Amino acid sequence: MFAIIKLIQSLFGALHSEGTPGQLAAGIVLGSFLGLTPLLNLHNAVIFAALVLLNISFAGGMLGWAVFIPFGFLLDPLFDWIGHSLLLAPGLRGLWTSLYNMPIMPLTNFNNTVVLGSVVFALLFAVPLFFAARYGVVRYRATLGERVRQSRWYRAVMASKVYNVYKMFRP
Amino acid sequence: MSSPAPRLKVFRWRAVGPLLVLLVIAVILWILFADTIARHESQQVGTQVLGAKVEIQDMHVDLPHGKVTLRGLTIASPHEALRNLLQADELAADIDVVPLTEKKLIINRIAATGLRFGTPRATDGRVAAKSGEGIAGRVMAETREWARQFQIPVLQLATGKLSIDSLDPRRLSAIPAAQALGARADSSRKAWQAGFDSLNLGPTLDSAKAALDRLQHASATDLATLNDARQAIDRLKRARDRVTALDRGVTQGVAGLKSGLAELDSARQRDYAFARSLLKLPSFDAPQIGAALFAPGAIKPFERVLYYAQLARRYMPPGLLPRAATGPKRARRAGEDIRFPKERDLPAFLLRSAELSFLLHPNSAQPQRYGGQLSGLTSDPALYGRPTQLSASGPQLAAGAMLNHVREIPVDTAGATVGGITLPPFTVPGLPLRLDPGAATTTLGFTLNGDTIHARFAVRSTNVQWARDSGLTRTTIGELIWRTVSGIKDLDLEARISGELHHPDLAVRSNLDQAIATRLRAVLGEQVAAAEKQVRARVDSLVNDKVGPVRARVNEVQTQAQAQVAQQRAKVDELQKQLEQRLRQVLGGVRLP
Repeated sequence: MFAIIKLIQSLFGALHSEGTPGQLAAGIVLGSFLGLTPLLNLHNAVIFAALVLLNISFAGGMLGWAVFIPFGFLLDPLFDWIGHSLLLAPGLRGLWTSLYNMPIMPLTNFNNTVVLGSVVFALLFAVPLFFAARYGVVRYRATLGERVRQSRWYRAVMASKVYNVYKMFRP
Repeated sequence: MSSPAPRLKVFRWRAVGPLLVLLVIAVILWILFADTIARHESQQVGTQVLGAKVEIQDMHVDLPHGKVTLRGLTIASPHEALRNLLQADELAADIDVVPLTEKKLIINRIAATGLRFGTPRATDGRVAAKSGEGIAGRVMAETREWARQFQIPVLQLATGKLSIDSLDPRRLSAIPAAQALGARADSSRKAWQAGFDSLNLGPTLDSAKAALDRLQHASATDLATLNDARQAIDRLKRARDRVTALDRGVTQGVAGLKSGLAELDSARQRDYAFARSLLKLPSFDAPQIGAALFAPGAIKPFERVLYYAQLARRYMPPGLLPRAATGPKRARRAGEDIRFPKERDLPAFLLRSAELSFLLHPNSAQPQRYGGQLSGLTSDPALYGRPTQLSASGPQLAAGAMLNHVREIPVDTAGATVGGITLPPFTVPGLPLRLDPGAATTTLGFTLNGDTIHARFAVRSTNVQWARDSGLTRTTIGELIWRTVSGIKDLDLEARISGELHHPDLAVRSNLDQAIATRLRAVLGEQVAAAEKQVRARVDSLVNDKVGPVRARVNEVQTQAQAQVAQQRAKVDELQKQLEQRLRQVLGGVRLP
């Protein structure tokens, strides 16, 4: 229940924040990395740091993360296949061998089929996702945004204490 | 004049503080829980690799000094539910820290103390045997399948009427073979008939007869008639060639049908053997009896050693090609971790040297202390360049193993002789007897060279004890067997496996084989002979209905075809002979150009 409320708060908090559609879309894109790729990996620490340090929508990041977690689980077989194809491609063996025998790089688990496959997928998916998210935010604010802001249930949801925590990181 | 656009801020500087706090918290958590995390990870990886639960009571990681200490290590047996493979009081390891940044574990030395083998445990520690997942699970399934391939004869002391009511005609091979042969005979008949029809000898023979008639009244100057006769002879020769070609085809076809008939006989012999196996009649051959008595138990040590050898081959493959292993366990799909060994670089795992100190008979009043050495255990033998070696020695123990995966074809060898080991009593398969080998000397030799296996397992005991179930005394045979074996105090058992790994030969012999074989032959010989006769009669009754008509049809087809060919050939030959003879008479020995 808490997760659902948090998701709804994240969604509307982000949509009605003062951030530009671009900032929100960038946050969603970085959040999608957290959701699509296995969470406990070094690259996600970098993604999280970027989400916190860069002047983009943190709420968008949380939204992207929450939305893409189920997709991550669903698409795991595809990620496994992509990773397998890339890691066992004869043309790339030299690259992987160099990376694997380099300090730090093996700690990223890039040699795991699901990790590599999901990161590559998330990278390729980032550009269309960014533009789609930005267009969606613009359209939402131009059409439904004000009516939702004035609604009673929106105020009720946003009055929750969780929203206050979120406000600390709004752009 | 419009105001300038606000400068876009790229960084959120006020978030640096919270991020640093988060980092500090992470470092503190790592310091607090590093040992727990390392212990948990070690247990998980160990369990995944060995296919049996690995438990560690306490683990301390001292990274600055490159030292890791494990206390209370327990590794469950992958094969036995309530038994441990080994337990260790303490393992102290010196590790290289720098390779850890490349996710490589290089252990320079391990000192293991208080090792104990085969201790009992309270819970089932098998993982691979139950789940069948991962590399260990697959290897376990493969080795089990390998052990199941051996056809172990069953020693059955059945008495009374032997019944074969369960013989299913669908499982007899002679019936489908007969049906197939019948179909072949029919198609051959059709093909040959078509061949005869296509010979079209009628017009040729008719024109030759007409030419012969004209020649009867012709003179040497009647050149047109003579020419007709010669042309008729040529046509007859060509017709004869066609008949010869057809004859060749018929001969080949007949040979095929004959071999089909021979195959029917072989199929019937197989059916006899199959029906006999349903009866589980006792064999009187001593080697068969040895296999029946001891093979089920003797295969187990081979299966277990093969399990570890195959695991070693999966985790320590030769060469430098990328190699896959199951990824880490997590909520998401584990995927596969692909390793990329690189020439002149460090392997992903290397244990340079281990000193082992262990106890045998830990529960006895005077437990015996032993010492051992392990060296060169690595995930990438081609990088390390030397084979893995294990040796252990002590009173009544000599053991050694070498895993040589340095070259393309791996060679794994192991050998051990352990004396004074009390083997558990076991029920002799097929007999209501229990054999307690007592304190025995056990020898195991194992070589797996590429895909060729040679292995030997031997048990020698001089003080075996026999016990019998109450049911045994109720039968005459049981009483005889009991009298045969109960006086035997020595056990000399040897099992050998040799040949290609996928299809090896198993030979088991013991000093009990001949004694039991002689006794069985005396008691059961007549009954077995009668049962075998009954089996053959039953198979014949099922098979003859199908095979008899087919055999007759095949004979008829081949006889008919051969007769037709011979008849056609005779007609052609006769006409040709008459024409040539008359031509010679007319010409009076003069040869025309």
